[in-house]
Amino acid sequence: MRNGRLWPVHLVLAVGAAAMVMPFFWQVLTSLKTFTEATRTPPVWIPSFEWSNFATVLDETPFLQQFGNTVVMTAGRTLAQLLFCSLAAYAFARLRFPGRDVIFIALLSVLMVPGQLFLIPQYQIVQSLGWLNTLPGLIAPGMFSAFGTFMMRQFFMTLPAEVEEAARLDGANPLRVFWSVMLPLARPGLMALGVLTVLWSWNDLMWPLIVNTDPESMPLSAGLSALQGEHMTDYPVLMAGSLMASAPIVVLFVVMQRQLIEGIAFTGSK
Amino acid sequence: MTGKVWALVCAGALVAGLAGCSSSDGAGSGGKVTLTYAYWDEENQGAAMRKIVEEFTKTHPEIEVKLQFTPNKEYWTKLQTAAAGGTAPDVFWMNGPRIGLYASQGALLPLSDRIAKDKLDLGKYPKSLVDLYTLDGKQYGIPKDFDTIGLWYNKDLFDAAGVKYPDASWTWDDVRDAAKKLTDPAKGVHGIGAMAWPQELYYNTIFQAGGYVISDDRKKSGYDDPATIEGLKFWKDLLDRKLSPTVQQMTDNDPIEMFKSGKLAMWYDGSYDAAQYNKTEGLNADVAPLPAGPKGKATVIHGLANVIYAKTKHPEQAWEFLRFLGSEQANRIQAESGAVIPAYEGLQDSWVKSMPKLNLQAFIDQLPDARPYPVSKNTAAWARPETDAITKAFSEGQDVEAVARAFAATMNAALSQEK
Amino acid sequence: MSTVGRAAARAAARPATRRRLRDRDWVWGYAMIAPLVLGLGVFYLWPVVQSVYYSFTEWTLFGDATWIGLRNYAEVFTDPANARALRNTFVYGALSLLGIPLSIAVAALLGTRGLKLVSLYRTLYFLPVVTMPAAVAMIWTWLYNGDYGLVDYLLSLVGVQGTSWIANPSTALYALVAVGVWTQIGYNAVIFMAGLQAIPRHLYEAASIDGAGRVRQFFRVTLPLLSPSVFFVSVLSVINGLQMFDLVYLMLRRGNPAREDTQTVVSLFFTRAFEEGAKGYAAAMAVVLMAITLLLTVVQFRVQKRWVHYA
Repeated sequence: MRNGRLWPVHLVLAVGAAAMVMPFFWQVLTSLKTFTEATRTPPVWIPSFEWSNFATVLDETPFLQQFGNTVVMTAGRTLAQLLFCSLAAYAFARLRFPGRDVIFIALLSVLMVPGQLFLIPQYQIVQSLGWLNTLPGLIAPGMFSAFGTFMMRQFFMTLPAEVEEAARLDGANPLRVFWSVMLPLARPGLMALGVLTVLWSWNDLMWPLIVNTDPESMPLSAGLSALQGEHMTDYPVLMAGSLMASAPIVVLFVVMQRQLIEGIAFTGSK
Repeated sequence: MTGKVWALVCAGALVAGLAGCSSSDGAGSGGKVTLTYAYWDEENQGAAMRKIVEEFTKTHPEIEVKLQFTPNKEYWTKLQTAAAGGTAPDVFWMNGPRIGLYASQGALLPLSDRIAKDKLDLGKYPKSLVDLYTLDGKQYGIPKDFDTIGLWYNKDLFDAAGVKYPDASWTWDDVRDAAKKLTDPAKGVHGIGAMAWPQELYYNTIFQAGGYVISDDRKKSGYDDPATIEGLKFWKDLLDRKLSPTVQQMTDNDPIEMFKSGKLAMWYDGSYDAAQYNKTEGLNADVAPLPAGPKGKATVIHGLANVIYAKTKHPEQAWEFLRFLGSEQANRIQAESGAVIPAYEGLQDSWVKSMPKLNLQAFIDQLPDARPYPVSKNTAAWARPETDAITKAFSEGQDVEAVARAFAATMNAALSQEK
Repeated sequence: MSTVGRAAARAAARPATRRRLRDRDWVWGYAMIAPLVLGLGVFYLWPVVQSVYYSFTEWTLFGDATWIGLRNYAEVFTDPANARALRNTFVYGALSLLGIPLSIAVAALLGTRGLKLVSLYRTLYFLPVVTMPAAVAMIWTWLYNGDYGLVDYLLSLVGVQGTSWIANPSTALYALVAVGVWTQIGYNAVIFMAGLQAIPRHLYEAASIDGAGRVRQFFRVTLPLLSPSVFFVSVLSVINGLQMFDLVYLMLRRGNPAREDTQTVVSLFFTRAFEEGAKGYAAAMAVVLMAITLLLTVVQFRVQKRWVHYA
């Protein structure tokens, strides 16, 4: 097929891509406008580069601190999920023990429940541990995931059994087999779970809003929500804030694009 | 119950290796007691709160007070989540719409006995506020501050249209006339903002028309009363004549922002937003008392109170702190910050003087006509549907009277469920 | 490699040893699932069990729960607000399926042989997926603005009169669905791309020998073989639609005239539990939603046998 004949495909894809990108373009443009410029019709296309919107965000929210909180929260949750989910998933996929399937199905039932239901009980636990407004409190409930376990179990089931059987006959116990044989083989699955967890964790809003209400201990998502509470419909400031809060994860995505795409493609193939 | 304990033990064991168990129990060693004090306005009042705590610890070195800030939108969610688990801040801010629910469900410490014992003079605070925090004859809160509503106006827009500034002699007719003269569609300027907000807007006009929101015994809705409906129609009429942006427009663009950017010439708003208007660059505004309706003058008075959590581990220390919060000294700190009108008698002047550009005296002058914010035991059960209904009534093509009458039935049903 | 290879050979030769080893698995099995089961149990499963219990009680904000039998359920099923919220929720769930054909189209086009710039397109389509929902909500609230929004401006260029999309009761629900679909297209397209790549080339060749054109090929070969992915995506879309909350919570400000018309079961649950302090009642709502979700998922799994082709 000649490249020249692909122009209709390019046209359709480009129109679609424009619809995907247009909102971000508008976000960036507005963040550089004064309030007066933003509320003018027809729209002003060349803004006066009002950097003070960004300065306002930095003044009113401890941005760097919240950025740090978000990084720690995301890293903590992701590492914990990778470990706990894959460990359990391997057992569910390969070991036999009484009640295995019942336990597994019970864990999966968590996926059917709206997340808001967990707020009160989880809050009580974190509070009784004295973890309100701390990073452990922010991280703790997100360390465990039924979805992640399900996903990793599916992955382990696709791996050939011969390799680990061999290792076990050599006298290795299941934990050792898991750690030194299966985990290296499961790298694509772990990568998939990792990127999804990073994404979910970075953007998580409801739990941080309730558990960490001190601006110094909030992650960016909650900080952005607080900013909206103060500025209601002052759109240039809101656009600047939303740009700053979501830019890091977008950059990370562009850098790690291949892994992310593979990860998501993997979740759908099972 | 045993299950809960089990769950906690598990959680503890699970995470012990991670960060170690720290205790949230306030009673530390050496007899020093820690209290937590929760509030929701950091931007305007955070500094004053810190100052108050600092002054308190000077005279009470044995009590440490930890401030806990939560943004307004999540404040109640967090408080209820915490209280459901049997622990909440020892002392916290309370408002009118919530007091009934919190007090009637036993979340707040009744203060009447302590007030009597320590001979605290509640006469130092506006009576309607003291009453707002009284339930079944018991006092649950000490007033912290209060607010009334005023008619804010943009002087530049008034000058340009050649309209005389509002004053205490204004009536509804003056508002209508001025709104007509000030509306300039070509410039996107509207005479007034008729938003469906209760406290700032329609409660005031309901009272000015001689209507009521809830009967004095708190058992019956006033929304089927012709006078109440007249109070709503005042706004609907301004909307129908396009002297106000539509409710939809004011949802997209907050009317406060519209007033600040010169798109509204008049705007009913509370004393709590004075600081915000005072510091807005390019806004040349002032404030006047609310205009009189068919049945005379009225403004909603509301105010926050400080309350004590019923299950606090340190009721004595919490009471000490609460007394200090209600003292003249603490109120003076609030007054000087300019954020709110302090509740304590005789301190209003320093608040009025904190923003010399504005005629803040207008808010104080209305006190004789002030009407308490309407509440019941479970205000939230009807206040949300109320906002929904009135917002709908104010939308285009809706009949205010029909919507209000239909809502009265809803509200009566909610009230009949209260015990 | 060689160790593994040798061991594999031995394993195949001695099935009896294999079975004996399996018998001791259970200790390891429990040990390996223990951390996760404890964590999920404490933070997730136990709360579900608790909620089911509380749904049979009158549990006020701060008081103890008192057993009231099925009264909460009776109220849940008779409250007109719930009926409205459930209707809205179904609309969200059903309309979010609309994104699927769009995503398939994007995936199919991106899979065109010899196409350049694929990775650029993919990045652009994927941006909404990685953007923070709180930010997405703000951006779209601004785009939908009835006075200064870009959407209305673009419409005005082609002579269409816009509206305040999320403040207008007759458009708000659909405006929110559009945002939801917008954020999902990239994610779903990636899943479909993987599904398409897995379709063996020779099937197309066979079809084309049979004289099928590209459109016929798409419907005869591509779509049936893509059906497992379509199934996966639609199950997820329906579950997400039924649990719709974030956008409603973030985009509808105080006093929005469209609030009643966009309220979902979860947002109503949130109001009841956290604003009105009726936690027992709210728990009953959650249990009903749980049952509906479960039912729909089971139905989807049943019906899939009729249309999903596993190769």
